[in-house]
Amino acid sequence: MKKVLLVAVAFVGFTAVHAQKIYATKSAQVKFFSSTKAEDIEATNSQAESKLSDKGPLMFSLLIKGFRFENELMQEHFNEKDYMNSDQYPKSEFKGTITNVATVNFTKDGAYPVVAEGNLTIRGVTQKVTAKGTLTVAGGKVSTKSVFKIKAKDFGLTGKLITGTISEELEITVTAKYD
Amino acid sequence: MKKKIILSILALIVLVIIGVWFFVIYAPTTSWYWGNRNIAREKGITVTATAISQAYTNNEDSANKLYLNKAIQVTGETSEVKKTEDGKLTVTLKGADAFSGVYCTLKDSTASVQNGATVTLKGICTGHLSDVVIIDAIIVK
Repeated sequence: MKKVLLVAVAFVGFTAVHAQKIYATKSAQVKFFSSTKAEDIEATNSQAESKLSDKGPLMFSLLIKGFRFENELMQEHFNEKDYMNSDQYPKSEFKGTITNVATVNFTKDGAYPVVAEGNLTIRGVTQKVTAKGTLTVAGGKVSTKSVFKIKAKDFGLTGKLITGTISEELEITVTAKYD
Repeated sequence: MKKKIILSILALIVLVIIGVWFFVIYAPTTSWYWGNRNIAREKGITVTATAISQAYTNNEDSANKLYLNKAIQVTGETSEVKKTEDGKLTVTLKGADAFSGVYCTLKDSTASVQNGATVTLKGICTGHLSDVVIIDAIIVK
């Protein structure tokens, strides 16, 4: 009897673990926008990887050298040592969770307001961030979109390159359409 | 006097040779010569998809020293050809193992690439996530 119970418990545990569904993409888009009196700067990276579990965990990772600017000179500056230093820090990453994932029904079409909380690492500096966004379920496909702001100096981005041409606050737009 | 003339002629010839080499042979292979970076004009480092993915799985830092931000001409067997949601054409080449390939995003989203075919693409390596990532790629063969 005990054995049967044990097997039953193990079985339930097993299915519970495997009930987790992971959504993934290798072509999430991350855009940043900076606006100063002098000019607006915008760059897009279309090869970000993202994984989302229907239990809440969410991660993004991207390569700094994958950001494309309209102005190629700007792109070079962006990657230089005194700015993103992408030779030394080629990646940026977010690891966190959707805190209100319980309100999302992954089997029912709709646009669900969500909040993601976690650690964002840029240029080797990790900071806690909270971002509001929308999780959309449409015909079994899941996508997420979030717009949030970060302060450049929180990630050690200071110096004359920043104060002159790039605003203190950067607006980040993340769009992921999962496979 | 004569010696001086000969010497200056020689110096002139050397200068002309250096000049021709620099502007005709060397400069067109660089990006600054063309203003914006032009992959088609860059020579590119020739490598197989298996070798570059192996290099990145073995040691990411040393692979970055070799390949990061360089023009890479990579040859491999396509394992997936896919349009992304924002309309870009992507080609995944088989790597050293099943978990790490070479993920290429093509410049021309209307290009046609056969799944399972062996292709050669040239693009800029931006590093390694779960695959080696190559962007702005063009089809060489």
